[in-house]
Amino acid sequence: MRANRSIRAFCQQRQPGTARLRLSLSVGLLLLGSLTPLFAQNALLGTAQTAIGTLVVIRPDRIEDRLQGKGAIQLYEGDVLQTEAGSQALIEIKEGIEVALNENTTLKLFYRWEKANGVTQILRLKQGEIWVKTGPGPKQLEVETPVATAAVRETEFNMKVQDDGETTLTVMQGTVEFGTAFGTCPIRTATISYGVRGKRCTKPEPVDVQPTRAWLQGLGK
Amino acid sequence: MQRKRPCARTLSRYLVLLLVGLTGCAELSRKEAPPQQQQPPPQTREIPSQSASRIYVANESSNSVTVIDGLSFTMIGTIDARNYATHDLALSRDGTRLFATNLASGKLSVIDTNALETIATVPTGSRCHVVTLTNDNRFAWVANIGEDNISIVDTSSYRILGTIPVGQGPTGIAFSVDGKFAYVSSQGDKSVSVVDTTSQEVIKTIPVKTNPHFLVLGPDRRIWGTNTGENDIYVIDPATQDKIATIEVGPSPQQIAFAYKGMAGPYAYITVSGSNQVVVLSTDPKNIRILEQIDIGPFQAQRPNGIWANPEGTRLFIANEGSNNLLVLDSGTNEVIATIPVGRKPIRVVVSR
Repeated sequence: MRANRSIRAFCQQRQPGTARLRLSLSVGLLLLGSLTPLFAQNALLGTAQTAIGTLVVIRPDRIEDRLQGKGAIQLYEGDVLQTEAGSQALIEIKEGIEVALNENTTLKLFYRWEKANGVTQILRLKQGEIWVKTGPGPKQLEVETPVATAAVRETEFNMKVQDDGETTLTVMQGTVEFGTAFGTCPIRTATISYGVRGKRCTKPEPVDVQPTRAWLQGLGK
Repeated sequence: MQRKRPCARTLSRYLVLLLVGLTGCAELSRKEAPPQQQQPPPQTREIPSQSASRIYVANESSNSVTVIDGLSFTMIGTIDARNYATHDLALSRDGTRLFATNLASGKLSVIDTNALETIATVPTGSRCHVVTLTNDNRFAWVANIGEDNISIVDTSSYRILGTIPVGQGPTGIAFSVDGKFAYVSSQGDKSVSVVDTTSQEVIKTIPVKTNPHFLVLGPDRRIWGTNTGENDIYVIDPATQDKIATIEVGPSPQQIAFAYKGMAGPYAYITVSGSNQVVVLSTDPKNIRILEQIDIGPFQAQRPNGIWANPEGTRLFIANEGSNNLLVLDSGTNEVIATIPVGRKPIRVVVSR
């Protein structure tokens, strides 16, 4: 606002005849700036809000931040989030996407920029289990595991990774595009699919999603 | 009313005369026209333009890619990789997409070669080093030194569809001719991992020597690699998955390309950074030997690293990270026919068809 006022004042004082042109150019430049991809190395991606036990946030420079109980630790690209045995955490990433981490989980935050599609947020799940719920409206979010990727628009789902990378996807609401290097399967509400190294994701099967939700009770979800 | 009639009549006469005259002229023209002949259909086959060939050079310390015309050797432009430490390049078969690893960013840049701009950046892994496209070009395999794995990037959606654990500090990737196996060199393990591309698992580990680095598929259908930490190169036969040849070429060998010398060849051309040379080898693994050692120092070139041959195998493009230039070497005469300034610390060069 202050910048806009300054631009307006400058235009009015110096060259009233060209004020509109200057203002248009300024607004244009500001708009261009807002469309420029987030190339800064410290792009803010979200906030860690709640931890039962301890959530450890490991920064790219190896500095560790810890959240216990309620808080607001800002999360940036390249941060690694870790929960140990008995710990759980809730974070919110941009566009109102809620992510819960179960115990023994390691998650890394990234984004991908594309000129055609803008920014896609990426959660790289190395081990453990997460639950994701997007707010209303389409989102650009992907969850990567060692053997598969889930592309998300407007959904609630749970992903669990075993030590060998095998990934279990349970969709509670909406549709998730679940893919490996061998093919992609759309997984819909109340179905489950598995991603295994060297294979296409399995055909979705109906599942009762309530047991999958059980671990979220402590986080109020 | 009566006054108008003669005028109308006169006009009508003129019109009739005009029409008759025009018809006559048309008749005359028709008579004078030569008889129609059956013409052959026009040639529709186009001869591909030689000037379509382009040279791309990754400049690690400029975070950019220099684009050079493959015929005139003039610079077309410089592309900002929008990341840090641009290291390796892989060009799609149709030449429209260039994939560039960025060591410091841990990201893969996707470049539109028509627009000469970066159109996507994909986070792969810490210290991503080299990128190689699968034989069908559906995936880019990226070696992440800092994570001891390979990221599999879908070349259409730019999604990472999985990672493959390999040896410690992967630095080179090449695929067999049939695409069934990938070879991944690992600095930390001093070995090459053989990956079954169907199961995406390491099925064999082949010991090599210190700091194995670059890998490439040779014209003999074998995998050629350099031990940058040693003085030698080695050859792996995919038929047996064994190392079948090795030879010392000089200190710190970097990359390998294959070209002809007139009727003879193909020969392996190796950039040897420590001796400022390009060493030429015979490619028969039973009789692998040094044929020539070409000093590049006299051509204002220092520390050769990247090397690539044109599709015809008559020109070699050598990126010199110590002198920030690209040499164009005629393989027939060993004559340097062009020296082109590029960005800082050029590491890798690839050429479109």
